[in-house]
Amino acid sequence: VVVVVAVAAAGCGSDGAAGAREGSSPPSITVAAASDLRFAFEELGARFEDETGTAVTFSFGSSGQLREQILNGAPFDVFASANVAFVDAVLAAGRGRPETKADYAFGRLALWTPPGVDLPAGIHELTAPTYRRIAVANPVHAPYGVAAVQALESAGILGAVEGRLVYGENISDTLRIARSGNADVGIVALSLVIADDRDHVLLPEDLHEPLRQALVVTAEGASTEAAIAFVDFVNGAEGREVMVRYGFALPGERRATG
Amino acid sequence: MTDWFPLWLSVRVALTATLVAGTLGVALAYLLAKARFRGRGLIEAVVTLPIVLPPTVLGFYLLTTLGVNSPIGRAWEDLFGQPLVFTQTAAVIAASVSALPFVVRTARSAIETVDPRVEAAARVAGLPEWRVGAFVTLPMARKGLGAGIALGFARALGDFGATVMVAGNIPGQTQTLPIKVFDAVQAGDLAAARTGSLILAGIAVVVLLAVTQLSGQRL
Repeated sequence: VVVVVAVAAAGCGSDGAAGAREGSSPPSITVAAASDLRFAFEELGARFEDETGTAVTFSFGSSGQLREQILNGAPFDVFASANVAFVDAVLAAGRGRPETKADYAFGRLALWTPPGVDLPAGIHELTAPTYRRIAVANPVHAPYGVAAVQALESAGILGAVEGRLVYGENISDTLRIARSGNADVGIVALSLVIADDRDHVLLPEDLHEPLRQALVVTAEGASTEAAIAFVDFVNGAEGREVMVRYGFALPGERRATG
Repeated sequence: MTDWFPLWLSVRVALTATLVAGTLGVALAYLLAKARFRGRGLIEAVVTLPIVLPPTVLGFYLLTTLGVNSPIGRAWEDLFGQPLVFTQTAAVIAASVSALPFVVRTARSAIETVDPRVEAAARVAGLPEWRVGAFVTLPMARKGLGAGIALGFARALGDFGATVMVAGNIPGQTQTLPIKVFDAVQAGDLAAARTGSLILAGIAVVVLLAVTQLSGQRL
């Protein structure tokens, strides 16, 4: 049945992604980005388009899911992961340009509570009965989820709160769970709440392995040049200024652990 | 500024999928209703699977069948120079497979309720079997076929799980309206989520009213 449908559908959609990419009049690139980058990269993308005329489309998700999509042939020109390991996995499968691999930021964790719930002073207070549900990103495929679980473990409270954890698909889904009030607190990316009107508590970075975020150009063909230009822009002066504003620590400027 | 692309893409994908699932579905329904052959039960079970399978499982199977490492995916890439998955074609395939059982099941019961005496009379009048089907059975079952196709369209329009796995979530390329709603909720853009949800719910209600109209009257 699948085969018949595939053949029958062939006529319709071949103008799909190909058309969007080959119609090169205004150049455009598609960037697969970890969802902690949503706000920072949307701003960067708009600026990049203003300056170069290249339109940037983002597909946000957890780094693990985006890696799977790239390995399955998704037409992304750049992969900006929240963890360098996923970039290495893409390179190992031969789907990226090794010379373009670069660190661009270190992510930070923050505690965030919805209206009506008191913000804990620190991670240890998460054991308080107020926090019946604690939202974290799914540690199976989301780097911020891995870091959140490591932080709970370093604080010595993982066992105490494990039964209260609820998992978001990715870090912005995790914030959504907390924002909707369905969790009493979220362990989220600083970059997603730094511009928020509600307060947050920044977690010490020595509680978890560094969230070393790396990117790589995965483009093949015509969009490669524009993809490299975007990567340079992210790591250029303007890009770094935006990343710092969203709470990221920069490679080379990060303080030693602590 | 409202971005209308997801709605436009959804309608386009759903209409194409309805064409695919409608044609294939009515043919399969006719076969299942009229022909007696070995493996008929198996075909019926396989066609019905998308109704009961979790959409993620369906999406995973489609990704495995059509992905860059599958024979079909490789053949496609050789033929068209780009992978099949994460394109609008992949979205059409996901929507077609999801819609197919709704067409088949509704159309099949419509075909089975056509009075066999009328068909017999047509045969006595000397019509060959294919003309009995094309000019007697299917026209008499038209309301049921219409209901099945309308249900298939609604299902195709609403597909999320299978589509997001084989077509991804690429704004401006493969982001259909249901996927846009998911993305908007994640981004905290509740206004966009409300608009998209309202449009999808509205279309669903209209389609279901049409189905009731079609299947409520005697054939």
